[in-house]
Amino acid sequence: MMMALQLLVSLLAVLALGRLAGRLGLGGERRIADEAHALQLAAEGQYGFQGVAAAVDMAGYSALVRDNANHHVLVASKGNNFITRKLLPPIEGRLDRKFLTIDVQEPDLAPVTLNLGDAAQYWASGLRHIPNA
Amino acid sequence: MPDLPKPVDFAVPVFVALIIIEMIWARRNAPDKYEPKDTLNSLLFGFGSTIAGLVFGGMIAALAMKAYDFRLSTIPWAWWAWPICFVLDDLAYYFFHRSAHRVRWFWASHVNHHSSQHYNLSTALRQTWTGFFAISFIFRFPLILIGFHPAMLAFCGGLNLIYQFWIHTEAIGRMPKWFESVMNTPSHHRVHHATNPRYLDRNYAGVFIIWDKMFGTFTPEVDEEPIRYGIIKQLGNFNLIWGVFHEWVGIGRDLISAPLGTKLRYLFGPPGWSHDGSRDTSDMIRAKWAEEKND
Repeated sequence: MMMALQLLVSLLAVLALGRLAGRLGLGGERRIADEAHALQLAAEGQYGFQGVAAAVDMAGYSALVRDNANHHVLVASKGNNFITRKLLPPIEGRLDRKFLTIDVQEPDLAPVTLNLGDAAQYWASGLRHIPNA
Repeated sequence: MPDLPKPVDFAVPVFVALIIIEMIWARRNAPDKYEPKDTLNSLLFGFGSTIAGLVFGGMIAALAMKAYDFRLSTIPWAWWAWPICFVLDDLAYYFFHRSAHRVRWFWASHVNHHSSQHYNLSTALRQTWTGFFAISFIFRFPLILIGFHPAMLAFCGGLNLIYQFWIHTEAIGRMPKWFESVMNTPSHHRVHHATNPRYLDRNYAGVFIIWDKMFGTFTPEVDEEPIRYGIIKQLGNFNLIWGVFHEWVGIGRDLISAPLGTKLRYLFGPPGWSHDGSRDTSDMIRAKWAEEKND
């Protein structure tokens, strides 16, 4: 009984601390500022990847970066940080006018929709020719 | 088994107070050092780890007492035995920790501690739920066979864990030089949590950084290179259960799909190893980095 009470108090303390982090205004949002920033994030996340062009989502939450060999890296926001995934064929991509949705088919990463404006079609076609490795 | 107090139980209120102090520091100086979802996740990892300890702790204690029956000598409960026990336990921790990064089986359990992209005091509480399953406790068994009582080892292990709490922070830059040369510090341990190629798989120490210096795994923090925290393939979301078990799931998938002769290496090879070379281990990434640096 005593142990159950201790665990309950611990759980409440955990939840209170988590809430406090939010109430103190910690975290915040980070966005991808521009193409150079997207290239930097891709290079940091995928060591050895040398991006040459990037398309940044209009809101700055995600980006697509490609290198000279047409390898692509997806940059996506996670909290106030970013994660990257190197895309391997076959890519699940859906183009809806200015929106390109990419599904890397990993259990922990939901499909990412990028608002790329007029560049969406160009980048969608690039996804069809990604090399295997 | 002697009924010694559990040091960590007494330290928990201090842990909570220090996390609050660090949060206030972050609010004033660097709000991005925390991410509320990540913080809650780290704390829930700690909570779950406590429950796992309650469930499996008794079994580990029973196994340890059984091993103690086969000891080669008996170290007495004398005052001098305590500091020796503490130092040797820290050495055992070094070897556990090194294996936890170099052998995927142990990494599957230890990865939980590294999967945050933030480095703050809440990260320290991000502890595994599956340590018992991974049999991580065997690294202390040589000390039991030497003759240290399991209760003495458990107590020293608790002190070791408490020491390691305060080094999970970016609020402290460097400690005095003499301290940095002997002890594990926030600076040394930031290196350990980094994903920058130069820092990968370095600084395994618990309390004394001398082990890394002795065994060639020490790398100092370089002020010019900002540290990026986490793991090579960062988790895509804040799902706690996925965070706990994702590497075990990965091992299971690889064991099913890998060619027969390669399966064991997916279990006991280094994290990132693959039979077709489609993934990179830390050593491979470091080698590429070193090559580029020398060009």
